[in-house]
Amino acid sequence: MIEIVCNDRLGKKVRVKCNPDDTIKDLKKLIAAQTGTKWNKLVLKKWYTIFKNHVQLQDYEIHDGMNLELYYQ
Amino acid sequence: MSTVSAPGTKSGGASASLSIEETNKLRAKLGLKPLEVNDSKKTEAGTKEDPVVVPAINPIAMKQQEDIRVKLAALKEKRLLNQKLGKVKSLGDDDGWLDDAVAWVEKSRKLQREKEMAEKRAKLLEEMDEEFGISDLIEEEMQTKRQSAYTSRDLKGLTVQHDIEAFTEGQSVVLTLKDKGVLDEEDDVLVNVNILDKERADKNVEHKKKKPDYKPYEEEESVDDMAVFKGKSILSKYDEEIDGEKKKSFKLEAGGTADGSWEKELQQIRETLRSQAQTLDMPQLKLASEFYTEEEMVTFKKTKRRVKKIRKKETRLKADDLLVQGHESTVTDYGSRERGRGWKFHGEAEAEGNTEQAEAATPEVQSVSDDIRVENMDISDDEARAPDSPVAIEEDEAEMELQKQLEKQRRLRQLHKQASDKVVDIAKKLKSDRKDEDADELERKGLIVFNATSEFCRTLGEIPTYGLAGNREEQEELLDFEVENKELSDDEMELDRDETVGWSTVNLDEEKKQPEFSATSTTILDEEPIVNCGLAAALHLCRNKGLLDTTMQKVARVRSSAKSLPSTVYAIEDKMLIDDKYSRREEYRGFTQEFKEKEAYRPDVKIDYVDESGRRLTPKEAFRQLSHRFHGKGSGKMKTEKRMKKLEEEHLLRKMSSSDTPLGTVALLQEKQKAQKTPYIVLSGSGKSMNVNTITK
Repeated sequence: MIEIVCNDRLGKKVRVKCNPDDTIKDLKKLIAAQTGTKWNKLVLKKWYTIFKNHVQLQDYEIHDGMNLELYYQ
Repeated sequence: MSTVSAPGTKSGGASASLSIEETNKLRAKLGLKPLEVNDSKKTEAGTKEDPVVVPAINPIAMKQQEDIRVKLAALKEKRLLNQKLGKVKSLGDDDGWLDDAVAWVEKSRKLQREKEMAEKRAKLLEEMDEEFGISDLIEEEMQTKRQSAYTSRDLKGLTVQHDIEAFTEGQSVVLTLKDKGVLDEEDDVLVNVNILDKERADKNVEHKKKKPDYKPYEEEESVDDMAVFKGKSILSKYDEEIDGEKKKSFKLEAGGTADGSWEKELQQIRETLRSQAQTLDMPQLKLASEFYTEEEMVTFKKTKRRVKKIRKKETRLKADDLLVQGHESTVTDYGSRERGRGWKFHGEAEAEGNTEQAEAATPEVQSVSDDIRVENMDISDDEARAPDSPVAIEEDEAEMELQKQLEKQRRLRQLHKQASDKVVDIAKKLKSDRKDEDADELERKGLIVFNATSEFCRTLGEIPTYGLAGNREEQEELLDFEVENKELSDDEMELDRDETVGWSTVNLDEEKKQPEFSATSTTILDEEPIVNCGLAAALHLCRNKGLLDTTMQKVARVRSSAKSLPSTVYAIEDKMLIDDKYSRREEYRGFTQEFKEKEAYRPDVKIDYVDESGRRLTPKEAFRQLSHRFHGKGSGKMKTEKRMKKLEEEHLLRKMSSSDTPLGTVALLQEKQKAQKTPYIVLSGSGKSMNVNTITK
C-alpha cells in the first residue's frame, strides 16, 4: 500500500492510498471520489509526462509518497 | 510507515486524506480490491526513509563455487563411462584355462562333447531323409546335371541378333553369346563380333552425314512395309533414344539352322500389299487457269447466224402501220397470177373483207407475227375468189378514191373505238372511284379527312407555279374525258363530231394552255390590254399610256402647330430670359430668416474619405485622390508600386505580435520544451542527451 499526493496548484491537494499494482485509472477514480470531479476529466502529469490509464503504478515507478500534478481536461 | 498506523493524523497543508477503512470502502464501491497492508514487503525492499542493509556480493566465493560445480560434473561423467566400459572384455583379459592345465583339459573335453552331439544330430536327420526316399532323388539329380551334354539340338529357339542378309553364302561366321547382365532373365542371344562392329560403323557414318532431323510438316501419316497404317509420331528422331535401338534378329530352328525362305515370303507379301494399296491422297490442288485450254477451245464452234431479214423488218413496224398493212397487205400483192389483172372485185370484196379484218386484226395487231401478210393473203384468197374479170382503169381510179375514203373512215372508227374503249374503261373506273368515298365527298358530308400528303401540302402553302409546267396530266385527262363523256352522250355519231372527237383530246389541251398563256402575255406581247376585263385592266392601260401619275405618295406626317416648337418661334428677345449659371449666382429666391430654435446647434461634421479597400484616408491621401479624379489621370507605375509596398508594410506591421519576436521565437521555444518535456533547451551537443529524460514504456 502506498500513498500518493496529488496537487492541483489551484488549492486542491489530496493524499490517496492505493496498491502499487493499481492502474492509473484506479488511482484517478480514487482521486475523483475525493476531489469531486469525474475521473475521466483528470490528467495526472509529472512535468510533461502524462500518465496513461492502463499502466500500473509500479511500472511507472511511482513509489510511496510521490507527488503527482493534477490537471483537468 | 507511520501513516499506516495513524491514518487520520497526517493531514497537513489542506491535503485531504482518507483512512484505510474508508479507502477500502471506497475501493469496494469502485470495484477494486482492498488495500494490501503488507509490512514485509516494506522491510525487504526498503524505502527511501528506512534503508535496509544488503550483504555485498563476493565475487571470489562465486568463482570457487563455480569450480566445484564443474569438477563434480566431470567426476560424475567419468563414473558413468567406467560403468559402461567395464562390461567389455579387453585383449589383456584372458580366459583362465591358458595357464591352468586342468582348465584346458576341461575345455577340450567340452568341445569334443559338442562335436559328437552335432554328428549325432546329422545322422539322425539323414536317417529321416532316407526313410522318405528323398536323398536318392537328390543324388540322381546331381549326377544328371554333370552328365548332360550340349549338342546342336539345343540351339533351337536361340535368337541371332543380326539381319539374316548379313550372312552370305559360303561364309562361316562364328557366333558368340552376347553379354548380358547377371540378373537378366532373358534368353541367350548370339552375335558375331565382326558384324556388330560393322553395324556400329555404319551407324556412325549415318550420324556423320548430318541429315536434317526435324521436319515438322514432313512427318506425314504413312504406310508401313506391310501396308499397315503408321500414324504420325511426334519427334520421331528421339524414338531410338527413348525406346532403345530396334535390332533385327532371327531365330534359329531345330538343329541350329535358319533359312531365309520365310523372310523372302514376307517380302513378297509386302510388295503385293503395297501394290494393292490405294492412296487416300486427294489430287493435288491446282490453280484454276483463267484462259481456256486447247481442248476447251475446240468446243467453241462458230455458229453461223441465220440471217432473219424478215424479223428485222417486222420490228420496225408500228401498230398503225400494221393496221394500214392489214388493209393494204392484200392490196399490195404485187400482181399475183391468181389475182389476175383486175382490181374491181377484189377491191370490193376486199373492202368488205377488210372491215371484218380490221376488227379481227386490231386484236391481232398486238401479236405481231412474221407472216401477217401471209395470213392476210390466205384469208383474202379464201374469201375473194373472183379476180378474173378485167376492170377498166377509170373505174380503178374511182375505186381508189372510194377506197381511200373508206379507209379514212375506218381509221377514224378504229381510233374512236379505241378511244371509246378507253373512255368506257375510265368511266367505269370513275364510277368505281365515286363509289369509294373521296376525301372531297367526306368533306362535303361534314367530316374532316386527314391525309399525310394533304397535310404536308397544306403546310407548304400555295405553290405559285403549280400546273404551269404542264405535267398535271391526270387532271387534264379527267377533264378531257369528262368533257368527252358529255359530248358523247349528247352527240352520238355525227360525222362532224366524229371528226372532232378524234381531235378532242388534243384540242382541249391547247385550249387549256391558251388562257394561261394569255394571262402572262399582257405585259410583254399585248400592247393594249383588254379594257372590258375589269378596272385593273383599265388602270393598266392608263398607266401604260401615262395617263396616271405614278409617283409614290409618302405617308403624310402629322402636322403639329407651329407654336409648340420653341425653335420655330424663337426670337432674340428670349435670350435675355435664359438662365445660365452666371446669372443664377446673383439670384436669391428664398426665405432669408435664420432658425431661432436651433441657435446652439453646431453641427459636428465629420467628413471621412475612404479608399477602395475601406481604409480611412489621411488628408494628404484624400487630396491626392481628389486631384487624380480632377485631372483624370492617376499616378505612374513606380508611384503606385511604391504606394502598394507601403500599404503592405503597414499591414504587416499591424499584424505583428507585440510580445514575440517577428519569427515567433518564444512560441517555438515553448513548443520545443513541450516536446522534450524539459524546462530547458540544449542548444548544442549531440542528440543523445536529448533522450535521457524520456520515460519509455
